[in-house]
Amino acid sequence: MLSNPHRVGPTQLWNDEAIKRLFDERGGYIDPRIYTDRDIYELEQELIFGRSWLLLGHETHVPKAGDFLASYMGEDPVVVARQRDGSIKVFLNQCRHRGMRICREDFGNAKSFTCTYHGWAYDQGGTLVSVPHVERAYGTCPNKQEWSPKQARVETYKGLIFANWDQEAPSLAEWISDAGLYLDFMLDRSERGTEAIGGIQKWIIPCNWKFAAEQFVTDFYHVQYSHISGMISGLPEGMELHEVEMPTEGFQFRSQWGGHGSGFMVNNAAVLAGVMGPEAAQYWMTGPIAEEAAERLGGRDYANAPVGHHITIFPTMSALPGINTVRTWHPRGPDETEIWVFTVIDKDAPADIKELYRRQNVRTFSSGGVFEQDDGENWVEIQRVLRGFQARNTPFNLQMGIDGSTEDHPVYPGRISYVYAEDAARGFYAHWQRMLTERDWATLSLPEPAMAAE
Amino acid sequence: MRTMLRESVPPFDAQKVGVELQHEIEQFYYREAAALDRREYDIWLTMLDEDLRYFMPLRRNRLKRFDSTEFSTDDEFASFDDNYAMIKGRVRKLASDVSWSENPGSKTRHLVSNVMIAIGDEPGTYAVDSAFITYRNRAERQVDIWAGERRDVIRRSDTPYGFKISRRTILIDQTTLLSNNLSIFF
Repeated sequence: MLSNPHRVGPTQLWNDEAIKRLFDERGGYIDPRIYTDRDIYELEQELIFGRSWLLLGHETHVPKAGDFLASYMGEDPVVVARQRDGSIKVFLNQCRHRGMRICREDFGNAKSFTCTYHGWAYDQGGTLVSVPHVERAYGTCPNKQEWSPKQARVETYKGLIFANWDQEAPSLAEWISDAGLYLDFMLDRSERGTEAIGGIQKWIIPCNWKFAAEQFVTDFYHVQYSHISGMISGLPEGMELHEVEMPTEGFQFRSQWGGHGSGFMVNNAAVLAGVMGPEAAQYWMTGPIAEEAAERLGGRDYANAPVGHHITIFPTMSALPGINTVRTWHPRGPDETEIWVFTVIDKDAPADIKELYRRQNVRTFSSGGVFEQDDGENWVEIQRVLRGFQARNTPFNLQMGIDGSTEDHPVYPGRISYVYAEDAARGFYAHWQRMLTERDWATLSLPEPAMAAE
Repeated sequence: MRTMLRESVPPFDAQKVGVELQHEIEQFYYREAAALDRREYDIWLTMLDEDLRYFMPLRRNRLKRFDSTEFSTDDEFASFDDNYAMIKGRVRKLASDVSWSENPGSKTRHLVSNVMIAIGDEPGTYAVDSAFITYRNRAERQVDIWAGERRDVIRRSDTPYGFKISRRTILIDQTTLLSNNLSIFF
């Protein structure tokens, strides 16, 4: 049991000790108030969303100088803008004069961003360049560097754009740590990498962001029950579900550091075909780019084997390599998440495969997707149940695979267990807990205690 | 196929579109709405043609001078882009006992109005624009209300409901979709 599951006091802010009681890694207990409490949510905004690398898009969303996307880091609106020198800048979408949004479109191409309140103007990189009536109104112009929107650090990982507010945080490569290869199965199959299919779908789910992020970090387990009807929707006419070879062999990965995780079945084309159709499965597992992927990523037996592959990079970037949906779970209060979804595809893929991936992603993993629509149902109902005092003070079970049956796999990096496990979820919450209790990167960047103890 | 999603309001040609045709097509839409609201999806399938494209583009916030890019294009992501076989797959999902997002089923009411008919190029085909408001109640207290426009191409057919839908483009009046899923048809 949690040692002291619900005695913090109604007005007391969460201290480190109280946060450490919310998740018990050794026992596999989780206190559901992490999904409902407003004060915890505010701490997350500061200590997680203010210090983590957050996914904002793909480089091909902003290919040319002046191209921009409006996005979010946590609840903070930001502009993602391609510069003339090819670099990408990310800055707060906020005029420094009275705080108005300076970019009011979802995407586009602009030479500058002009606030529509009083007309302060900023260049493509977010530097203040013009203040109306400056001489008579101000005398001397406000310092243009000082009065420009806050800039975030920006780095890319094989086409994906991430940003981080914290100047002290580790680099993106260090952040991703040993999870990189699991992203590479989607992003680095060929020399030319991937491109995004145009358009980002956005919708809300009234649930805490961690339900979504946790599912993609750890949860192949729900597929066989939550998504059985999604499989049915894609069966060839006349074929019944019991004729499909259901997968049983697979692995789960927990990162050595960072709270990332992934899981997948292996060498079962039916899993991928059941979502994307047989042509896509064939392309993914045996096509010419699969050959190249095998060479680049260390061998056919493992580079092309993962199917039904899910991954979360802590905290809010998730993807399904093979299906190729990529998403950010933007928090919108303790009980709402805004989902931003796009699809990537090998740049070298033939046009008909790109079209197939586009259409099958819309059919399967989107707001109306035959798989995704059932996730929305689950998370919303959990969040509603947690309105109950008894419900949110009754711990959740996070014990699957807790007996320590993990191994070092000869080819898959990180700590590996059977595909149906919650080791990756325990890693996710352990890191969540560290982000909220360790203020100093000098200790926070050390390996996870649970992993180091091995 | 019509791909220009920002179109001017079609002129009204009283000579070609008489009261009787208007009445027939409106009655078809009322029956389609009833089939969806009563969850009689097998009947709804008889109202769809096998060359169907059921398409809901994404909608985006753009400044007025870029209005032409308000909707995503054919090669971009969408909220729906199904052919007839994909729609049949969705109906098969709904018919199963394990389609949790619609079991128990949503309570819906499809209201169709502002029906504007133009005569199509082929005999017996019509380009029909209409407005909709769809109300959904799910589980105990969830309420979603979607409004938008449907641009259809329908053709006469020798079936009990008189027409089949060959194209449906749904222009929803939301950019960020304000519901936990789109598990119903529009």
